[in-house]
Amino acid sequence: MKKTLAMIIASTLALSMLTGCGGNAGAKSEGTKTESPKTEEPKADKASQTLVFAQGAEPRGLDPAFVDDGESSKVIVNIYEGLLAYEKDSTEVVPALAESWEKATDGLSYTFKLRQGVKFHDGTDFNAEAVKTNIDRQIPPQRKEDMPYASFVFADVKDVEVIDDANVKINLTKPNSAFLANLAMSLAAPMVSPKALEENDGNVNKAPVGTGPFKFVSWNPAEDIVLERNEEYWGEKAKAQNVIFKFIPDNSARIVALKNGEVDMIDGIDSTGVDQIEADGNVIYNVPGMNINYMAYNVSRKPFDNPAVRVALTKAINVPELVTALYGDYAELATTILPTFIPGYSKDVKQTAYDPEAAKAELTAAGFNQTIKMIVYNNPRPYNARNKALAEAIQSYFSKVGVNVTIEDYDWTTYKDKVIAGDYDICFYGWIGDNGDPDNFLNLLADQNPALNVARFNDPAFNEIIAQGTSTEKGPERDAIYQKAEQYVADLAVWVPVSHASNLSAHSPSVQNYSYHATGNIFFKDMYKEAAK
Amino acid sequence: MKTQKAVQTENGSIAIEKPESQFKQMWYALIQNKAAVAGMIIIIFLIFLAVFAKFIMPYDPNYADLAINKQAPSAAHWFGTDEQGRDIFSRVIDGTKISLSVGVTAVAFALSLGTIFGAVAGYKGGKIDTVIMRFMDIMLSIPDILLAITFMAALGRGIDKAVIAIGICSIPEYARIVRGSILSIKDSEYVQAAKVIGNNDMRIIFKHILPNVLSPMIVRATLGISTAVLNTAALGFLGLGVQPPAAEWGDMLGRARVFIFEAPYMLIFPGIAITITVLAFNLLGDGLRDAFDPKARK
Repeated sequence: MKKTLAMIIASTLALSMLTGCGGNAGAKSEGTKTESPKTEEPKADKASQTLVFAQGAEPRGLDPAFVDDGESSKVIVNIYEGLLAYEKDSTEVVPALAESWEKATDGLSYTFKLRQGVKFHDGTDFNAEAVKTNIDRQIPPQRKEDMPYASFVFADVKDVEVIDDANVKINLTKPNSAFLANLAMSLAAPMVSPKALEENDGNVNKAPVGTGPFKFVSWNPAEDIVLERNEEYWGEKAKAQNVIFKFIPDNSARIVALKNGEVDMIDGIDSTGVDQIEADGNVIYNVPGMNINYMAYNVSRKPFDNPAVRVALTKAINVPELVTALYGDYAELATTILPTFIPGYSKDVKQTAYDPEAAKAELTAAGFNQTIKMIVYNNPRPYNARNKALAEAIQSYFSKVGVNVTIEDYDWTTYKDKVIAGDYDICFYGWIGDNGDPDNFLNLLADQNPALNVARFNDPAFNEIIAQGTSTEKGPERDAIYQKAEQYVADLAVWVPVSHASNLSAHSPSVQNYSYHATGNIFFKDMYKEAAK
Repeated sequence: MKTQKAVQTENGSIAIEKPESQFKQMWYALIQNKAAVAGMIIIIFLIFLAVFAKFIMPYDPNYADLAINKQAPSAAHWFGTDEQGRDIFSRVIDGTKISLSVGVTAVAFALSLGTIFGAVAGYKGGKIDTVIMRFMDIMLSIPDILLAITFMAALGRGIDKAVIAIGICSIPEYARIVRGSILSIKDSEYVQAAKVIGNNDMRIIFKHILPNVLSPMIVRATLGISTAVLNTAALGFLGLGVQPPAAEWGDMLGRARVFIFEAPYMLIFPGIAITITVLAFNLLGDGLRDAFDPKARK
C-alpha cells in the first residue's frame, strides 16, 4: 500500500517537473520573441547601423575622473576625447583635441594648440578654459579621494595656464617623459564639458558629456547603455547610427548572445570559448595584450630575501612548457616584464632558465627546507584566464624538486586584501598597461605601495634606474635604461614573468572595420555593419 | 528464555524454528532486496578500491606532466589526463578514499554528537529540551550546504575541516530522530523499572534506551553517508574542499567545468564516481529502512 502511494507521488512529481520545464521553455521563447523586434525594429538598413556590443560587466560610471575599470573605459572612449590619443594599432601618441604641442626645453611645461570649432555634445565650446577646468578638478587642492587615476595621469602637474582660447600651457613640477602618453589615456585624461560638470555637482558619472563621435542617450541599469552618432562631430563622423553596450556577465551566455545575433560583438572571452565561437561562424579577434601575468616572491620574508633561494626555486619552473599547456595560442611566453611592442622591450634580457637538477642542488646548498605558502586568486583575470591552475602547475614543478607548497585561493576582492596584508611567500598577480610606457610596468617594482609592488621589492639601485628612466627623453637612451632595469630584476629573480595574454574578442562577420585596441578599449567610430547579411 | 516454537509454514507443514534475533530477521529481509544488495556490493567494491588504491592506480595521482595535459582517454590513460597532465583514472580511484572517509567520519561525528543532544533533550525534557531542540531547529532552518560553506569559510580549507563542517550540519537530524524515539519509549514500563532499581540517568539512556532506537539511527546514518559524500563534492566543486593537489571528485568536477566542450571526459568520470557512490548508499539505506520496518517486511 505504502509503495503504491509512493509510486503515485513519485509519478505526480515527475509529471509536474516535466510540465514545469515545458512552461519554462515556453516563457523563454516568448521572451526572445518580444525581445528580437526591439533591436531589429527599425528598417533593415537602419538596423544595420546599430552596433551592439556585449561586455562582461556594467561600467562603474561614465565620468573619466571617477572610474578605474576597463568596462567603463570602453564606453568612455566613444563619448569623450582627450588632448591626445593613441594610434589605432599601437600606443604611439597622436593629436586629438590638441592639434600640436610644444615642450619647454627644461621639460617643465607643455604648450598645446587646441583644435578650433570643436563643440561638446551640450553645444558649449571646447577651449583652453575647458582644459583648465578638467585638469584643475583632478589636481590639488580640488582633487578628491575617489579619483583613482588623477594622481597617476596628472602626477607632476603643477598648474594650468590659459594663454588664449586656443592655447593652453601645462606646468609640471618635474620632468616626466611619460606625461604625453598619460594624456592619451582613457581614464582621467578625457575632456568633460565644464557646463555639464557644473550642472552635475562635478560628477558626470550618470550624465556624460564629451566631444567624441557618439553622444550619450540612456543607461538602463543592469541592462544597457545606448549612444547615438554625434552629428556635430569635428572630424569624420561615425559610420553607425547607434551603439548599444549590453552587460552579460556569464562568458558562455555572451557567446550564445553573439551566436543568436542578439549582439554583434563581445569581449572578455578565454581560450575555452574560441572553438565554439568559430563553429558558430563568428570571427575571433586576437591581438597581443598590453599586460603581464607573473608570479612574485615576497622578498620581505626569509628565506625569500635571499636571491640565491629565489633563483634556485625559479630554476624548477619550466615556464615555456607551462604557458603552452595552460594558455595555448592565446598567450605569449613572457621573456620580460614588458610586452614586446612596448619601447624598452629587449629580447636580450635573460630570465632564469629551467634546470631542475641545478634547482635541487642549489636548494640543498642554501639549506632550504620549508613549506612555501602560495596565495592565488580564483577568478579568471584578463591576463590569466586559468587563474589557480597556474599556481597548481608551479606547485607540481616545486614538488618535483622536493619542495612542498600549500595553496590558498581567494576571490579577487579578498585576494587584494590578502596581498596587502602580506602573509605569503609567493603570490600571483598581473598588470594591464595604461599608456604603453615602460615606466608604467617597471615602476611596479619601485613603488612602495604593497598593493602594487606585491613582491615588496625595495632596492635603492633599482629605484635609481627607474628614476633615471622617467627623467630621460624618449628614445634609444631611455629604452636602454629600461632594458637594464629588466635585467637587474631578472638576475635577482624577484618576479617570474609568465605570459602576456592576448586580448580576445569576437564579432559577427557582418561587422566591418573591427578592431580592438591594446589598451583594452574598443572604438566604434569607423565600424559599421554590412546591410545585407 | 530460549525456547523453540513450532511455526506453520506456507505449505502447511510444521517446522521447528529457532527464535530469530531482530538483526537476523532484518538481514534476511535485506538480502532479499535486490537493489539493496546491489548497493552493498558497490560499497564493498568502493571500500576495496579505497583500501588497495595504491596497488590499483597505474600512476601517481598527483604527478603532473604538463607536456601531456588534456589528453583524451587512451590505452595509456584510460580516463584521459587533466589540465595539469595528471592521470584521471588514478585520481578517480584516489578520490574514493577521500569521499568515503569524509562520508563515514562526518556521519560518525554527527551521529555521536546528535545522539548525545537528542538523548539528553528527549530524556530530560523541560527547559533543556527546549533550548537544545530550538537550537537544532535554527540549524535545520538553514540549508545544510550553505551552513557547510559558512563553516568552511570560517575554518579554512582542508579535508579535516570539511568533515567538521559537513558533520556539524547534520547533527540536528540525528538529534531529532533520537529525541523522538526516546520520547516514545521513555515512559514505558521497562524504563520505569530500570529507574526503580536505581539506575542513574546515564545508564538508563545508554544501556536501556539507546539500543532501542538503534534501527532508525542506522538507516539515517547510511543515507547520511550519501548526503555527506554529495556535500563533500559540492564543497569541492565550489573550491572549498581539499588542499591541492589532492584528488577529490567534486574538486575535479569544478576545475574541469570550463572544459565541458573541449574535454568532456574530464568531467564525466568523476561525475560517474559521485553518482555511483551516492546511489549505492541510497539503495542500501532504503533497503535497511524497509528491512527494519516490520510492516514493510514480507
